[in-house]
Amino acid sequence: MKKIHVGAVAAAAAAALVMTGCSTGGGDASSDTVVIDMWAGSQSDTDALNAQLEIARKQNPDLKIELRTAPWGDFFTKLTTNMASGNMACVTGMNSGMLSSYTDGFLELSDADLKTAGIDLADFSAGADEILSNKGTMYGVPFDIATMLVYYNADLLDAAGVAHPEAGWTFDDFEATAKAATKDGKYGFAVGMGDFQWQALPIAKAGQQPVEQDGTLALTDPAFVDAASWYSGLVTEEKVAAPVASASDTGWGENQYTGQNAAMAVDGTWNAVSYLNNDAGFTAGMTTLPSGENGSLGLILGSGFGIAKSCKNPDAALKVLGSMLSPEAQDYIASSGRSYPARTASQPLYFESIDEQFRPQVEEVFTKAFEEVQGQYVSDNWSKVGTYIQPQLVSVYNGQESMENVLESAQQQFGK
Amino acid sequence: MSTTTYTPRRGTLARTESRQALGFVSPALAGLALFTIVPVVLSIVMGFFNWPTFGDKEFVGFDNYVRLFTQSPDFWPALRNTFVFALLYVPISVILSLLLALSLSSRIRGRGALRVLFFIPVVTPMVANVLVWKMLLQPQGLFNGLAQSWFGVQLPNFLADPQWAMIMVVVMSVWQGLGYNMLIFSAALEQLPESVVEAARIDGAKGFRMIWSVMLPMISPSIFFASIMTMITSLQVFAQPQLLTGGGPGNATQPLVQFIYNQGFKFQELGLAAAAAWILFAIIIILTALQFRAQKKWVHYEH
Repeated sequence: MKKIHVGAVAAAAAAALVMTGCSTGGGDASSDTVVIDMWAGSQSDTDALNAQLEIARKQNPDLKIELRTAPWGDFFTKLTTNMASGNMACVTGMNSGMLSSYTDGFLELSDADLKTAGIDLADFSAGADEILSNKGTMYGVPFDIATMLVYYNADLLDAAGVAHPEAGWTFDDFEATAKAATKDGKYGFAVGMGDFQWQALPIAKAGQQPVEQDGTLALTDPAFVDAASWYSGLVTEEKVAAPVASASDTGWGENQYTGQNAAMAVDGTWNAVSYLNNDAGFTAGMTTLPSGENGSLGLILGSGFGIAKSCKNPDAALKVLGSMLSPEAQDYIASSGRSYPARTASQPLYFESIDEQFRPQVEEVFTKAFEEVQGQYVSDNWSKVGTYIQPQLVSVYNGQESMENVLESAQQQFGK
Repeated sequence: MSTTTYTPRRGTLARTESRQALGFVSPALAGLALFTIVPVVLSIVMGFFNWPTFGDKEFVGFDNYVRLFTQSPDFWPALRNTFVFALLYVPISVILSLLLALSLSSRIRGRGALRVLFFIPVVTPMVANVLVWKMLLQPQGLFNGLAQSWFGVQLPNFLADPQWAMIMVVVMSVWQGLGYNMLIFSAALEQLPESVVEAARIDGAKGFRMIWSVMLPMISPSIFFASIMTMITSLQVFAQPQLLTGGGPGNATQPLVQFIYNQGFKFQELGLAAAAAWILFAIIIILTALQFRAQKKWVHYEH
């Protein structure tokens, strides 16, 4: 009897420990504290967030605002566990490409919510409302907008005697440039492994996304299959790009480009500044995605903030969200050159932050690149599709598997 | 209970003592419960649920297990990859490190330095090791560069070829894990009883006979320990394929633990991941039990 009694006490003590373990570090410490959770990969990222936080604190003196950060990769793993344990921060950062897996955790934003936040979408770039929306429902407001560009290494192109690509160029121009720049152990182009990086050119060429607007997977649509096969053919047939070395090289194309092994690569506008000021010291340039018979469709991407469904005080959270996206905060992001702001009025400040020698090009290319953009359509299991396709791409680029087969088996597995 | 047969005085004392003892161990018990028992029990429970990270959990019985074995396109390949890895890795690693320990057991000059050298890969972070190996193995890497400039031969794209990729994961892992087993064997060889070795030597044993009939039986407990631990870690392999090949090309090098990781943290199917983890646990337990049974035939304990 005694033993059982002591055992019960021990069990109760353990249970108490478990409970206290769960309740610490939560996002609901007290109702007047609003926690912001955002990714930050470096001290400069954190500093920039703190600067925006100051703006939010000034605008909401009655609220206590706290910041939580994690590096990009860990952020989403942590968000998964935070969502599961009810610890999601009231104001949580989100990216257009990741939203579909996390819609369950976010509050659906109504017009009234936006009004509480003091946000008028008309002040934002066209298509900005599509960035953090899924199947027509809005879950967040973006602070920056992005799309994919072709970056080139001007030094390599000059050495090969090839003209620099101009905004508005065609797929024929692209192929000719890539072919001409492939010599002396350098490649004209480097293929991508990330979803956005490898799909940008096929989407532009096909003029359509591999997913329909309602979230139906359309990987096997002939136009997309043709365009994707053309893309992998750049490695296997045209031989203007190197085969990828390993499925763990998730940033293959970008690394080949910065390593000066390839003259061109596709990457997002978010890396424009870091490419222009690259450590390797080569002269970087950029241009729009090439256009073909089907135009030059690009995706409008971006990151922003949403409100957690589990948030105890959504009105306060909305106010903080509004402050984080206020003109002051947007001006700060823009003038620091960190990313291209979603507020139209702040966008000129971004160009002003760019070194004068690059400014005209960046302004021309950015303006043109955002002309023909569409929000990204994703299926519910889109991250699974990406995880499945990525290691298969290695086999495709190495000629052991065809793009058509990979897309078909992905469609069969995930298209149901 | 047995305490009732004692005299009342001793019974009271024993009871008091056991109560006090429990008081003293309760912090440890609480820790054990919190960090070991609760998660283990939770993972068993999870295995029987459709358990998304967010949203409604639903009891599905053995459905997760059935799905793994009959529907999941990656589960069988992952199981196969894990076994292929273990079958290649365990014997190569144990035999090579044993040879290394034997060759470093004689009193040659600089053996201390050599031991340190072979042990370095064990203590350097895996990420750094993998980075170096990637630089060696990729098409623009050292091996292909040397092969082309010296022999004019184009080496295969090691990490992107379905057959080569697994071999390279094994080679890299053997290199990385060699020093640990070598250290265990070296320690055992250092402690061989001088009298037995001397007796064998007087009887004329030397060279291969000495190693095979005298030394190996005497260090067989260490060999047993090393092979069990190596087998367990090889069945749990994750970091090497994750970092070196990303499980690819396709799923050619995706081991079971990476499959579990993907299900749980990329696809947010915690139930499926828990079920797969318990399958891995069962495999490890069964193989370890078999090894313990087999050891009676070949492991010699002195005492």
